[in-house]
Amino acid sequence: MMSLWGLAWRNLFRKKTRTTLTLLALALSAWVLASLLGFNRGYRKALDRDIDHMGFQVLLTAKGCPYEAATLMLKGGTGLRYLKEDMVATVHDRPEVADVTPMLMQAVFDPNKGESGGITAYLGVDPKTFPFLKGTLEFRQGGWFKAPAAREAVMGYEAAELEQREVGDKLLIPEINEEIKVVGILKRTGTQDDGTIFLPIQTVQELFKKQGQLTGLGIKVKKDADIDKLEEQLYNLPDVQVVSLSQVKSTIMNLVATARVIVMSVALIAVLIALVGVINTVLMSVFERYEEIGVLKSLGAMPLDVFRLVVYETFLLCSAGGALGVAFSFGFAQITDQIIRRVLPYAPTGSLVALDVAVIGVTFLVMVGAGLLGGLYPAFRAARIRPIEAIRSESL
Amino acid sequence: MKKLLIAGALVLAATASLWAAVGCDLNDPDRDVKRIFPESTGYKTTYLSIKDGGGLQQLARVINRLGDKFSGPYENIDVPYTLYEIKKGAATLGYIHGVNQKGTYGGIQVFLALDPQGVIRGFYIQKLTSRAATQLRSKSFARQFIGLSLKDFDGYNVPFGRAEGPVAAIRNPAPEAVWDFRAVMRAVKKNLILMDEFVYHGAKP
Repeated sequence: MMSLWGLAWRNLFRKKTRTTLTLLALALSAWVLASLLGFNRGYRKALDRDIDHMGFQVLLTAKGCPYEAATLMLKGGTGLRYLKEDMVATVHDRPEVADVTPMLMQAVFDPNKGESGGITAYLGVDPKTFPFLKGTLEFRQGGWFKAPAAREAVMGYEAAELEQREVGDKLLIPEINEEIKVVGILKRTGTQDDGTIFLPIQTVQELFKKQGQLTGLGIKVKKDADIDKLEEQLYNLPDVQVVSLSQVKSTIMNLVATARVIVMSVALIAVLIALVGVINTVLMSVFERYEEIGVLKSLGAMPLDVFRLVVYETFLLCSAGGALGVAFSFGFAQITDQIIRRVLPYAPTGSLVALDVAVIGVTFLVMVGAGLLGGLYPAFRAARIRPIEAIRSESL
Repeated sequence: MKKLLIAGALVLAATASLWAAVGCDLNDPDRDVKRIFPESTGYKTTYLSIKDGGGLQQLARVINRLGDKFSGPYENIDVPYTLYEIKKGAATLGYIHGVNQKGTYGGIQVFLALDPQGVIRGFYIQKLTSRAATQLRSKSFARQFIGLSLKDFDGYNVPFGRAEGPVAAIRNPAPEAVWDFRAVMRAVKKNLILMDEFVYHGAKP
């Protein structure tokens, strides 16, 4: 004799098109829900990772630098504001500071990049402190600079790929026509480092005639130090701007939180649409089997048996839809990632959609739970069918 | 349902290969296509690779026809190639296809515009870092390639930079940058061979 589960399973195949469409609606809702839940988790992770990979928690720049950064992007190195190099010692002496690393970014206009030229940027870093602070960087080929003022470059993975460079190859800095030898190629990091060309800071200062000048100072704070207190002290330094990466993170997360409310509302609507779909499908199926259920009951089926049968059908439908949706979210995670990236004004590097057991579990449970909730009413209607009335309606 | 899942899997496989390695795309396809083919009304973009096409056998054939080995970590079987098929209404006006080439100081991106028979009707170096960049990107240098095809480049000896026939008439505008000139010539020959492999399938004019 066939079990209730078996009967429920078989019933789903009686109207294949309707079952398939409901399944797809459930799957799409589950996909949206899983992707959005994964985004909530993934965005924070990616941002944390980006900030951790910077190697320092506070960045010091010359006042007005954020605006100058735009100038750098648009016009090259002209018009940049600089910090004095003696700022390194001033900051390093603070008790909260573990280490500081000076940086000097210079950009040049390359007229032979594209139809109307383009900008190439070089980041001068201190060979003594930068590799230590950026301990996560690994080399695919070669290593760091051999001397503090060497005419050498270390290239990020993508920069090297674009320029087709290997260790031992040369680079030519446009405008100043200086040759640089490539001594290291980094492994892919998934951060902005992938597109960066690093040079020793002294070399950048000499090549661009910016001796004693910096565009930024990365500060690594001691483990137990009070970052807020340090930032307060740094604000008192003349003509500097303090960029706290924890503040940056919190500001970005606040902005994203607003977007998150909107996306979660969309997810909720998607789940509600699926819920209505389930109610409609199961209710239709109950009405179509009105006489059949009457016969079942006249043959001895109890109201609870009929109730369970409909609930089982709903459970199977929602489980399959939820599982398919979860599979979609995994399969199309990369595409979802790209879509989110296009929509967001700022997106950290790395994967923005983090799908893990918790996200998958919550998605699956929400879909099954919501579906079962939607199936209760049709199940209740089915359980209340009176055999005599049902059989009579058939004879009519 | 089964068909839907298969279609989904195919889309995923295609997009995964698309993001696998750096290709050579036009910076601004709308503008560049209109500039090279002013009479065009649209274009279709296709992503191709030797790995997804003829595989190792095709790679060996391309290397053999080029007469020079693929070198370095960036010139390999995985490289995605972007093919722009240029349309005027339903008719195909021609193709634009670019390749990356290692130069003395950086990557060189060499694009060719070909007519439906594989004859060069446009030559464009999108990116080049070289002391002789201005000369090699000049219109007068580009004009020397117009009207040539793979048949003319077949005899070009890549390792030694020796040419015969119409290709021998191509003048290096910057003799001091001979390696970049030879890199450009290699890129043109490679580009034509790849186009023959991907599009023309040996139907040379």
